[in-house]
Amino acid sequence: MSATITEPAVDVVCLGVGYMSGVVAAELTKAGYTVVGITKGPYWDYVNDFSMTKYDEWGVGLGRKYDSPLPLQSTTIRNNSSQFALPVRRYTMPIQYHALGHGVGGAAQHYGGGMGRYGPWAYQMKFLTDGRYGSGFLGNINPQDDTHDWPLTYLEYEPYYKEWEKAHGICGDYNGSPTNLSSDTNNPWMSANYPLPPHPTTPVGTLFQSTVQGMGYHPFPTVSALASQAYTNQYGVTVNPCVYDGYCGGPCDYACETGAKANAAYRTIPYALNTGKFTLVTNAYVFRLTYNSTTHQITDCHYYDGHGNVHVQPINPTGVFFNGMWGYNMIRLMLLSGVGNPYVYNSSTGMGTGTVGRGLTNGYTPNKGTSVSGTLSIGANGYPAGNGAGGGYSMFDLMDDNFDHTNLNFIGGTLVSAGGYQGSGPGNITFAGGVGSSAMGGPFKATQKDKYLLTKVSVGTTPFTPDLPTYMNYIDLDPHYTDAYGDPISRITHDWTPNVYNGAAYLVNQCKPILTQMGATNISVGSAVAPYSYHTDWWGHHLRGGLRVGTDPNAGTATAWAALSGYNQLYFTSNTTGLNYFAAGEITNTTGNNATAGTHAAGPQSYRAAEGIVKYLQNATTSNVNYLA
Amino acid sequence: MSKTSRRDFLKFGLAAAGSALAASAVEIPLLSNQYSSLKNQLDTANSNLSSTTSQLSAANSQVSSLKGRVNSLVGFTHLSIDQQQLLEPVVETIIPSDSTGPGAKEAGVIYFIDRQLAGDYGLSGNMFMDAPHIQPKIPNTAPAISVNTSSAWNQLAAPAGGGGTTPSKTYTGASPMFTVANPTTTYTVNYGITATPRVGSGINYQYPINMREFWRIGLLALQKYSNNAYSANFQTLSATNQLKVLNDLWNDTPATLTPPLRPADDLTGFSNLVASDFAYELTFMTWSGFLMDPLYGGNQDMVGWTYVGYNGVNFGNFYGEGLSQKTLMVASSPTRLKPASLAQYQNAATGGGA
Repeated sequence: MSATITEPAVDVVCLGVGYMSGVVAAELTKAGYTVVGITKGPYWDYVNDFSMTKYDEWGVGLGRKYDSPLPLQSTTIRNNSSQFALPVRRYTMPIQYHALGHGVGGAAQHYGGGMGRYGPWAYQMKFLTDGRYGSGFLGNINPQDDTHDWPLTYLEYEPYYKEWEKAHGICGDYNGSPTNLSSDTNNPWMSANYPLPPHPTTPVGTLFQSTVQGMGYHPFPTVSALASQAYTNQYGVTVNPCVYDGYCGGPCDYACETGAKANAAYRTIPYALNTGKFTLVTNAYVFRLTYNSTTHQITDCHYYDGHGNVHVQPINPTGVFFNGMWGYNMIRLMLLSGVGNPYVYNSSTGMGTGTVGRGLTNGYTPNKGTSVSGTLSIGANGYPAGNGAGGGYSMFDLMDDNFDHTNLNFIGGTLVSAGGYQGSGPGNITFAGGVGSSAMGGPFKATQKDKYLLTKVSVGTTPFTPDLPTYMNYIDLDPHYTDAYGDPISRITHDWTPNVYNGAAYLVNQCKPILTQMGATNISVGSAVAPYSYHTDWWGHHLRGGLRVGTDPNAGTATAWAALSGYNQLYFTSNTTGLNYFAAGEITNTTGNNATAGTHAAGPQSYRAAEGIVKYLQNATTSNVNYLA
Repeated sequence: MSKTSRRDFLKFGLAAAGSALAASAVEIPLLSNQYSSLKNQLDTANSNLSSTTSQLSAANSQVSSLKGRVNSLVGFTHLSIDQQQLLEPVVETIIPSDSTGPGAKEAGVIYFIDRQLAGDYGLSGNMFMDAPHIQPKIPNTAPAISVNTSSAWNQLAAPAGGGGTTPSKTYTGASPMFTVANPTTTYTVNYGITATPRVGSGINYQYPINMREFWRIGLLALQKYSNNAYSANFQTLSATNQLKVLNDLWNDTPATLTPPLRPADDLTGFSNLVASDFAYELTFMTWSGFLMDPLYGGNQDMVGWTYVGYNGVNFGNFYGEGLSQKTLMVASSPTRLKPASLAQYQNAATGGGA
């Protein structure tokens, strides 16, 4: 029979143990506080758990043997608030929708290691756009626009970026990188280089670098979170270098058997555990926060263990909750618990009220994006060899507001990269999962012969401009479907905004000359896809927003602390949200940077939150727990 | 396809052993025609005979071992005889064996599918299977649908939940209009009552049955359609017509009802099960059986990997090639590596050798 078990109170409770909670656990135990981390999956031991069985495309890519089980919890999807949302029933390839993380380290188990800072423009997207192109510009290009800026500028976040990069062993080289952009001469992107050098460059990467440099652009080695050398971070945690086996990125995103791929499980959590002040609770499913509306405090959280017992995890009288869950789950837990002001969209006014779930965007490209491609007379090995994020060069010159948008119908731009390792992951299950009617019979079979032995490589780019926040796109609770414990699951309402399509249609023509200069042949420009014509597929689901940081309380993105002290880790008014409730939060705006760079941009917020929590714990007293110096 | 021909392709290993025997027989000296034989020649011959006998014995033991493997590995755990006879020509139509190399037949794709249907895949073990089951692609011209809310949602305080007063929700779809500037363009967007996902995507499968049942109904419907449209069982059609049937399925040529569909245990054809959904599953699982690790029963002898030039778990030195990943990943011309399977890799890594 299930029982209710009350756990000992601690200073800080981390909900979910991924990247964000890893930082908070390390920083708060370092400062001498007691921390509990609660996560729904196991604590993988990368050597024992992955070294013998990860090279299993069927089990990893389709069976999802290391991932969050769908029968436990799924999510539902629709494009518009007038629709019934369909639940995600199964894992398929190419990868879609899924909140993959299951266990310590969360979704970092699964990414290819793509990283990269967001630039200064991203943090003040609205302010800078209004200033340069007029205050009506955003509303004119983005129907039902709900864009807001981050609470701090890039330069204010920069120190946190550095800490985060040191902790996780990020590889790259800022020489020749955006610091050289004329618009940034007084506003350098990086005050220190990345802690580790970039990975070896491929022939295509070298060609891209020299070509775009000759065209006046500013290429830099593609940033990677896969350690290029043995490394010890600021917590004394040692990191093994990448072995380049190639089972890393690719759409299946393999777990790392050497621990070279950055992940809280191998970077921050080991330190927290070594302090003796961190308690890790695995296979535990958090389902409620208890909110006291008189004191505006979260007093405890409730979770199920594997036996169905309910555990109550309280905090010390001046303690703190930190929500480090995956985006959907973070929002869902707040809605289930009555924490914060739920966002409600009104389709007849095209506006919405409330905050929790508002401002959902997708940090990726709709798979049918407009693209340009060609072939080079350079060969390569297309089978796994390399890793998921190294080998290439990138440039920011066509990103953000680094070119004039006057009279254009979009803002932002795209990261342009080339030369990543061809064999960054096996491609068989992606191919098999993506078949259509043409994938049958002898002539088609012949096209597959020796396809991994590339005598020519294709080069190309699918520009991706930011999916802008609108009132129409949001997360709420699904009225019909529940998780295995009977609680409503999250519902996603999202359609791609016109900015994504209009930006791509313009930028393919800016990218085409790069391919020409590289000597590519058979260059083809994919025909532009009209806005709102392609909301039917969701390949590469990298949701952002829904719980934004910001400065505008009417948009629900400000905090009591913002008003008191400049600490913006709470987003909602003090009347509805616990004053002792922190989160790294979802990022406020996407950019054209690569999809997992969103994680890189959220990373600094975890350091910002950790600093705020320490200040709170130092200054709060039982008689005045709201105080923050 | 008859059972005889199915056994034929199961014999790939036995045929190899047989040719080893034939080669040994040729080497036996023809003593009976040599009247002037010397004793040392006889001794040599006897020695040869002894050596040949031991070769024969080794070959026999190999045959016996391969027979054992055939008997233990190439049976079926799920598919019925009717399903085997239909599915074999289906997978061989999707990936034929031809002059370019082996196909689904040599790879044993049918065994891959059989084992998947018997296990988690067939039982939809990792799928979210909860009701209600509303079909995708319902247009906004269809009547609105009303769906009961979960009691948990309805009991949650509004506006996050129903506040105890919303037992059902109605969905109509919509056709809103949006205007974008520079240049001014107006878009009217058609949102159906449910979204229109890609066939095969994770929100497309909304049937209230598990994959095993989906395949059972699908195979029966395929055979019925073959008889209706091409007047014969699929396995007796010409190769051209077999491919046509599968293309018809992809094109939803077999009649389907107008959504919302209510798939049931309907054995009469593609009236309740969208034909292209089944065509996707057939094509997807056939290519998976050709290209996934041999541990799963397909891709036997790694013929699929060899065909596409894939290395499996050979990182450049599995067979002593002396190549390194760091060289292979920045090479400007391709290197063909003999693939290694996961079982081989594990055996080598745990001290068993390559």
